Order: sequence, then structure tokens, then C-alpha cells
Amino acid sequence: MTPLPDHLLDAVATEAVREGLADALFTGVTTSIGRLTVATGAHGIVRIGFQEEPEDEVLAGVAAGLGPRVLRAPQELAETGEALSAWLEDDHGGELELPYDLALVRSPFRRRVLEALHAGVHRGETIRYGELAARAGNPKAARAAGTACATNPVPIVVPCHRVLPSTGGVGSYGGGPPRKVALLELEGALPPRLR
Amino acid sequence: MTVAAPDLPPFHTLVDAHGDELLVHARRLTDPVRAEDVVQETLLRALRAYPRLRHGDHLRAWLYRIATTVAMDHHRRGRREVLAADAAEHVAAEPDVADDFEAVIAGLTDTVQVTLRLRFVEDLEYEAIAARLGCSAPAARRRVSSALQTLRERSAA
Repeated sequence: MTPLPDHLLDAVATEAVREGLADALFTGVTTSIGRLTVATGAHGIVRIGFQEEPEDEVLAGVAAGLGPRVLRAPQELAETGEALSAWLEDDHGGELELPYDLALVRSPFRRRVLEALHAGVHRGETIRYGELAARAGNPKAARAAGTACATNPVPIVVPCHRVLPSTGGVGSYGGGPPRKVALLELEGALPPRLR
Repeated sequence: MTVAAPDLPPFHTLVDAHGDELLVHARRLTDPVRAEDVVQETLLRALRAYPRLRHGDHLRAWLYRIATTVAMDHHRRGRREVLAADAAEHVAAEPDVADDFEAVIAGLTDTVQVTLRLRFVEDLEYEAIAARLGCSAPAARRRVSSALQTLRERSAA
């Protein structure tokens, strides 16, 4: 089977957005850390999937949360994709300023964790899980803060790569520890002992 | 947020799976230039109706029925444009219900209607259509093809 031409898919996506018929749009973005699946809802990026995550599974999750009208929209999302891949190549850049939406995060605490992370842990900084839990309102919930990061639907944009375990090491990462190291290196925030 | 039937697949999987065959179908019913417009409008009509579907069965046949209806609308619209009817009327006249396939095939002979329904309502493969019509699978394929040709000729007349 041959896919429909991009211009046709984009025409459908553009009109669907105009009429409010799209629950989510997505595209694939080629970046320095591999191919990403990027999905957006009405208010911003709702999901970023790493190369190892099957696209259909990523999008099934998006459909379960936002609705089944998920559309491929390469042109509509070209700017978002370019911003993301440019940011991933610029080791002197600033913060990644892309609108995001935690619509796929059901638990209020996990949402608070991710919001605290996005708002308060900037490029070049890192934080421990316990401290992040405290900022989200529950200092005892380091483990839950870890879960919030592990299930972060919008990695890179909400920078869960900046959260490190108190036991040392780089800790786990949805996209795999080597990507966490690469992102921290890009930001000049990789602790010397981990180099 | 849309509350949809739990077994409706994400829409893009339908487009990935059936988009190219819908384009082939639209080419048979119109012409290569208009076929893309037909597919585009088919997908938009399908999107408008998608959250109202109660189940996710036979979605391929459903898309074919919409595409057939859209192609016939394009023929009618084309005639009206020749008659210099204004564009606003076309928009207003566009049916809200995506699936008025029966209206499109009404007036064709019973045999042609039956053939089209087996393929595009019951969603049968050619082997199963052959069994129902008492002919071979290649003959069933020819009958569907000829039924579509009849539809096209009638609407172009």
C-alpha cells in the first residue's frame, strides 16, 4: 500500500483543524537523538515518542486520551518539528519554548510534578527526585515523582532528563539512559562524575 | 474531548490502510484530477461522522460508500457549475449525513444495486460476493467494476 501524498493529507488536516474535527495531529521528526513521533492537541504538544516506541502504540495512547480523530499532518506541524530538531542541535540555545498540554496525564500529583519541573528546573540545572516531589507539594513522594517522570508523555519539552537519583548515576529515562546523558551534555549539565 | 465508541481505531490508521485504494476508487468514478478532491472531501465527511459511529466494524466499506457519494456529488456539482449555479448553494446543499449511499444507487437496476451493496455495505471480498451471486470471483470483480461504471455513466449523463 502506498500512502496518500503529503499535500492531500495536509489539506485534510488543515481543513479538519479549521472545522474543529481533529482530536490530535501528529508527524514524525528526524532529530539528532533519533526519529521522534510528535502529537499535538488543541493546546500544544501532548505526546513525544522516541524512536523505539512503535508509532501506532504512541498514537493509540493519544487517541485513548483525546479522541479517535488522529491525523497525520506533516506541514501543519513542520514549524513545531523544526523548533524541536533545531533545539536538539544547539548546545548554546535557551529554553525550549513550545506549548505543551498534559492532557494525557490523569493523576493530579503527576501533573503537578511535571508542571513544577517545567516551570522551575531550567537548562543547565538538575534536580533530585525528592526535591522535585517537595516542589510538587509532597516531600515524601520521591518515588511517585519518579513515576511521574517515567510516564512523562512529553519528554524533552517537560525536561525529565534533568531529574537525577540521589543514589548517584544518571538514573532511568523513558528514552534510555544514553539519551538522558546526551541531553544533559547538550545542556552542559552532565555532572562531572558521570562523564 | 470526544467520547467515542471504545473500539474505533485512531482515524489515521484507516487513512494509512485504505487511503490509496480510496484514491483508486475515486479515479474509477471521476477522473485523475478530481479524484484527489474526492478523497479529501471523503476523509472530511468521514471525520465529521466518526465520533457518532456506534461501532468500528466495516469501516473500509463505510469509507467506500462515502467516497462513492462524494464522487456522485462532484458530478452533480460539475453540472450545476456549467449551469452557473452559485458556490454557496453547493455548501448549503451538502448533506450532513455522510452515508446516503442508498440515495446514490437508487434508480439503478436491482442487479447493479445488489452488487454494489454486497461490496460497499456488506463489505464482502470478491470470493464471498461470488458465492452470493453464484459466479466466479473474477466474474464478481467484473460485476462490481461494471456496476461502478454504470454509476459513473449515469451521473455523467
